[in-house]
Amino acid sequence: MTALSSHVLDEIKELPAKFPQPRSAVMPALDLAQEELGYLTPEAMTEVAAALELDPGYVEGVATFYSLFHLTPVGKHRFYVCTNLSCMLRGANEIVDHVKKAIGTGTPEEVSADGLFSYEEVECLGACEYAPMMRLDQRYQYDLTAEKIDALITERKEGKVLPRDGEVAAHRPEAAPVQAKKPRAPRKKKPDA
Amino acid sequence: MPELRGSYGDQAQHLLTRWFGTPDLHTIDVYESKGGYKALGKALFDMQPADITGEVKTSGLRGRGGAGFATGTKWGFINRDAPGPKYVVVNADESEPGTAKDRYILENSPHMVVEGILIAAYAVGANQAWVYIRGEYDGPHRMLIEAIEEARAKGYIGPRPMGKEFPLDIRLYRGHGAYICGEETALLESLEGKRAQPRSRPPFPAVKGAWGRPTLLNNIETLATVPWIINNGGAAYAKLGTAKNPGTRLLTVSGNVRKPGVYEVAIGATFRHIIIDVAGGPPEGRKVKVFWPGGSSAPVLPESMLDTPSDAESLAAAKSMGGSGGVIVMDDSHCVVEAAHRLLQFYAKESCGKCTPCRVGQDWAVRTYERILANEGSHVELDILQRVSDGLQNGRCLCGLGDSGGWVIDSTLRHFRSEYEDHTLRHECNVGTVKVSA
Ligand SMILES: Cc1cc2nc3c(=O)[nH]c(=O)nc-3n(C[C@H](O)[C@H](O)[C@H](O)COP(=O)(O)O)c2cc1C
Ligand code: SF4
Ligand code: FES
Repeated sequence: MTALSSHVLDEIKELPAKFPQPRSAVMPALDLAQEELGYLTPEAMTEVAAALELDPGYVEGVATFYSLFHLTPVGKHRFYVCTNLSCMLRGANEIVDHVKKAIGTGTPEEVSADGLFSYEEVECLGACEYAPMMRLDQRYQYDLTAEKIDALITERKEGKVLPRDGEVAAHRPEAAPVQAKKPRAPRKKKPDA
Repeated sequence: MPELRGSYGDQAQHLLTRWFGTPDLHTIDVYESKGGYKALGKALFDMQPADITGEVKTSGLRGRGGAGFATGTKWGFINRDAPGPKYVVVNADESEPGTAKDRYILENSPHMVVEGILIAAYAVGANQAWVYIRGEYDGPHRMLIEAIEEARAKGYIGPRPMGKEFPLDIRLYRGHGAYICGEETALLESLEGKRAQPRSRPPFPAVKGAWGRPTLLNNIETLATVPWIINNGGAAYAKLGTAKNPGTRLLTVSGNVRKPGVYEVAIGATFRHIIIDVAGGPPEGRKVKVFWPGGSSAPVLPESMLDTPSDAESLAAAKSMGGSGGVIVMDDSHCVVEAAHRLLQFYAKESCGKCTPCRVGQDWAVRTYERILANEGSHVELDILQRVSDGLQNGRCLCGLGDSGGWVIDSTLRHFRSEYEDHTLRHECNVGTVKVSA
């Protein structure tokens, strides 16, 4: 049994040809692996390395450098709460406290008992005019309050929002109706336009 | 779309944001109906590449990514006739704390960015552009993909754009969460599939950039300005702003103001105008205490310097800089030492670790702030902060991230010495009653 399914490995093997030099494929490849497994296990990184004909140590060196790659399990829905200055000045630390209490975890490494939630404090997400804000399920959430957090959690507990909804939504993810979608078939993901 | 917070509509200083807020401006039909892609046609058919670069030089446009380098001069560094591939790499990594303007542009008018990229690529003789966009920008990423597809379908992108024998293509590459990727050579490393650690220069990207090839690197806002300049002429652009720092900028005003937003202003407007008149000033009953005029990396200025004009020269005279255009405002209910601590945590976390003064120095600073805020400080801690700050600045580090941490310490100490002394010597926080040394 491999960690990654064969169609994902096939997709990964097609990536290097899309760049002027094959090494550029390493991050798009890790994206595909993380999309399938939720986080990057040593086995998955080894398989990515083999598929790209790279040294596994090199692949792990890249994976550990970038904060959007996870090396430990994460919740199905992860709260990336911005606590940099502009958000901090508008109450971001209180928002983090509320999130932790509401999902019942104390550190970014923990996952809620039902497997649904985890959180992380992140640096400026480039939407400071809507502070305090966060990223959740490929979508930005603005002007956060404790009530808003509770509503977002309830929606997800009731299964009304799937983790990749924001990405599927059309032009303006914020305007897309929040509703349940069928899980998607394995997607032909291109690393580029 | 949430409520638009920032500039839109027909005002004299709205060169980029004039059509923002128009329904469906992000679609190619609406963009064309506002005159979109006329500049590309003009550049491809009525101008020589050297004239395009010349027009940008005349405009006096300076890079909006942070360093403020003259854009036309940078374009001129690329040898258009050198054989082999050349690239335009677009910096959409926007992660300087307090900065949201590239996102604002991409969400409102992705075609303006696409058009600017195509003109730049033609001017420097590059057939291929890559946009490096931060991984968290899911919405802007999707909108750019769709804009590029629309432009391809309409024949603006492709083997013969608008019929011109000069292939043009744009592809996207997503970042994965690392502030340092905004630094141009770290960005190139990342694009090549490596850990994002800055390169030493020379060679400069214009000679040896992406995949070892000559590369033009520009910020999203810089390139979004290009269609206006081509349509209206560099001289018209230079009429706005100041003589040495012409044009308009999109300033992100955030923090303790009543109307945070991304505002397009003529460069040179004072921060009093920007913070008080445009962004509504601090909340009821509060006073501005301090502001960062150009992102968290720009040295702070106290309230007494609100009348500083926003052009590069005036800011340099005030010992700060225009940086990324992120104006972070803090009112008198917040503590400067705590704010500085938070920013040093940021620089320590984001240091790529390549050079020792930055890797070690930022951590030293964080630990020193922790002791101070735990009321364990003394004059020793004040000394340490000053010395760590000196060790981070003035070319001791390979890239600007090192200096940035140093500037936060240095500028907050310079203007708010008494607040630091309250914390370190007297173990008290006197927020609200703190005296400011100009
Ligand atoms: C630590 C650091 C972070 C940076 N982050 C960004 C960024 O997020 N976006 C950006 O456009 N430029 C950033 N820059 C500036 C770039 O290195 C580069 O100067 C700029 O992208 C060039 O484009 P321009 O001439 O159009 O401004 C950063 C620089 C440093 C030192
Ligand atoms: S100054 Fe810091 S971020 Fe920049 S290269 Fe050196 S260690 Fe890396
Ligand atoms: S500081 Fe939170 S989005 Fe910029």
